[in-house]
This record gives sequence, structure tokens and C-alpha cells, in this order.
Amino acid sequence: MRVTVDQSRCQGHALCAMHAPDLFDLNDEGHSFVIADPVPAGLGDAAYTAEAGCPEEAITVEPPLAHAGQARS
Amino acid sequence: MSAETESSASGAPVFCAAHMLDSWDERHPQAAFTELATADAPARPDGMLVVAARQELTEFLRHPAVRATDGVHFNLGGKRPLIPLDLDGDTHRRYRGLLDPLFTPKQVARLEPAIRARTNALIDAFADAGSAELMASLCGPLPTYLFIELLGLPATDLPIFLEFKEAVVRPVGATEEEQQANMRAAGDRMYDYLTGVLAQRRAEPPRDDLIGGFLTTELDGERLTDQEIVDICYLLVIAGLDTVTSSLSCLLAWFAEHPDERRQVVADPGQLPRVVEELMRFESPVPLGHRWVTEDIEIRGRRFPAGSKVEVLWAAANADPSAFDDPQTVDFARPHNAHVGFAAGPHRCLGSNLARLELRLAIEEFLRRIPDYEITPGDQVVYTNYGVRAAIRLPVTFPVARG
Repeated sequence: MRVTVDQSRCQGHALCAMHAPDLFDLNDEGHSFVIADPVPAGLGDAAYTAEAGCPEEAITVEPPLAHAGQARS
Repeated sequence: MSAETESSASGAPVFCAAHMLDSWDERHPQAAFTELATADAPARPDGMLVVAARQELTEFLRHPAVRATDGVHFNLGGKRPLIPLDLDGDTHRRYRGLLDPLFTPKQVARLEPAIRARTNALIDAFADAGSAELMASLCGPLPTYLFIELLGLPATDLPIFLEFKEAVVRPVGATEEEQQANMRAAGDRMYDYLTGVLAQRRAEPPRDDLIGGFLTTELDGERLTDQEIVDICYLLVIAGLDTVTSSLSCLLAWFAEHPDERRQVVADPGQLPRVVEELMRFESPVPLGHRWVTEDIEIRGRRFPAGSKVEVLWAAANADPSAFDDPQTVDFARPHNAHVGFAAGPHRCLGSNLARLELRLAIEEFLRRIPDYEITPGDQVVYTNYGVRAAIRLPVTFPVARG
């Protein structure tokens, strides 16, 4: 599983780093970057939560949640 | 944030599309905001287009033709573009590149001891009384004291700032023209004050505070001019003072009227970061901003013509049921909370991490000192939603701790 932050969209809301500190950190301007790629085992839910919780839709998780759900079922 | 006003047919100032709905309620505006968020292509009676739905808001703000100003109208009594609120594109990005690093979570964390100390000093003044009016005794002075410390100004200048922000955020006047004139007069006084401060600081050895930083920093190899520093400070004053004051008053009022949830937080203050985010979504103390559209654009099938001024309702997007399950309910366990209580897009709140820290620490200290409190029986909390939502009168009663 991969997670990325689109730097052209990130505006530094910092919610991802607050809720998933094992996946995201903030640079000197307060913008988010990924610190664990690929996503470590056990942090998948945190990645999808961060994606859904980003106000700018700057975070993308691959595979998308629907596919992951199908894969799990 | 904007304090511009329009006049309704009756002549009374109309601040926001939600105020015109039958469902409007000063105490509980969330239902009116949900109504707008679910309306098809909402607009004000005067024709101004309104962006209220959560998804439309994100896509609208991302469009390069959506701008902060038309180059003529500036926010909040400013006679020049406020830096960075009234700037766009590359110019805006240059200043944000300078200012954003000053307000990251790591940078503002250094202020924690000062915030706790100032909060406790203010609580000391009323803790033994068993009652207090929290707007005057805590919510109003706390952010202003902290801001003065941050800029490196004397605490005795507190009244200058309190008067200024009140005059700009809640301008006095019977008509829009009078309000604008009073706002501009207050703005001119603040420009003069800041210009005087800078002259004094340039004559002194450099100090380790925000103004000291602005005096020595370089942008593209050049020092900032006095006018740039004054314009930045003006924006910080107006954006940093009333917003935290208002937010803190809304949150403390909410806890006064929700004892079960308050006890839950008292028992486990560790959940406060999440609690603050959810209450910022629900209360949305800064309800709206304005944007200008520079060319004909279409967002999710809706046309926005070139030249239109658009009301963007953060508070409505935060009450949109398509983005937040049961938006009228405060739910600390909301699994994800993509709220826009600090706005969104390129002009998202510069000081949000400082605001969060102040709110979290002030509430943590207040609830540690005064875990049980209620709105004083026979009295009531009074909200304003004009400009910024705030509990402008917040009378509380509490048992006095013994020993």
C-alpha cells in the first residue's frame, strides 16, 4: 500500500500529522510529507482515515478503499 | 475572514446568507448552515453567489481564477492589501513562505509554558469568587496578552489592541458607510501605532521576537520594508486576536451547557486535540470569507461569471450532511473530520496551529482549575454571529475549591 501527498494541494491543515503521526510529518513550512512508504502493516486504516480527513483532498492511498475492501472480502 | 457588510432592503446590515433564513437562530446557527449546504446553487437576495456545500467549496477554492481580492476592496479596514490575506498567486506564495515557518506546530509549541502561565494568572483573579464573566475575564484578554508577548510589545499596550480589534470586527455605525468609516479610522490608528513601534525598534538592538525576526529576515535577498512589516503585523493583529477570543468563548460556553461531555474531557484531557477540532467544526467561529472570480468558470456544473464576488461559507460546509454524518451532533469520536473551520485553499488560516495550542491549553487549564461550572442560573449566554461567532457574554457560576 502506498500513500502520497500532493504538494500543490496541501495547505498545511496538519490534521494528517495529528491523527496519523506514524505516517506523516510536517516540513519547515508546516506542509505534510509521508514518512512511511510503503505503508507499514497495521497502519492501513490510519492511511485511509488521513485520506478521508484531508480538507484539501491532497492525500491519495493506493489501492483505493473500494478495491482494498474487495481484496479483503 | 472579512468584516465587509452589505445593506438589506430594510437598511439593516446583512452579514451572511444564513441570517436571511427562517431557520436562523443566533444561539444555534448550525441548522441554517445545513439548509444552505444542501440548497441547490444558493445565492443571497442581492444576487451574490454563495458557496456552501463541502465538495463544491474545495473545488471552487482550488480554481486558479478564484482570488482573494479584486485589487480594490481590502479586508478589515485595511488601506492597502493585507499581507498575505489580500494577495494572490506568486506574491502570496512568497509571503506565506516567509510566514508559514513561524507558525508550524513545532514553532508554536515553544509558547506552551507562556500560554499556561497567562491562563492561570487570569483564572487566579476570579477562581475564589465562585462566578465570572468569562469573555471579559479570560477569553478577551488571553489571546491579546499572548500576541503582545509574541510581537515583543509591552503588556501595558493591551487596551490599544482590544479597542482596535473590537472597532474592526464589530464596527459601530447606523449605516454601512458609517461602519466602513469607523473601521477605516480604527485601521489608521493601528497603522500609526505600528509605524511608531517599528521606528522605536529599529533604534534598539535586535530582540528575539516576531518583530525582531521581521526586521532581520530577507525575502529573495532583500530586507522587508517598514510598510511590508506594518502590513504583516496589521493582519496578524486582526486575525490573531478576535478569532481565538471568539473560538475560546464558544468552546467554554458549549462545555458549560454539556456537563456529560465536559466530565468526559476532565477525566481524559488527552483527547483535547480531537475535541478542539470537532468543536471548531461545529461552532465554526469564523463563518465565512469572500472570494472574487476573475474569469467565467464552472464548478461541478455551476457557473460563476467573471467579476462576481462570492460568499464562501466555511460554517455551512462544516454542517454539510454529505461530508459529515449527523452534522448537528458533536461527536468527539468522528472517524475523520475534514472540517474547514480554519478555512481552506491558499488562504487557509496562517495561525491555526497557534490557535489550536491556545484553545487546547486554555481549556485544559480552565477545566483543571474549574471542572464544574454552569451558566449562572437566571442569567444567560449571549451569542453574536455578526462578523465572527462569539459568546460575547458568558456568565458562569462554579463551586469554589477549598484548601
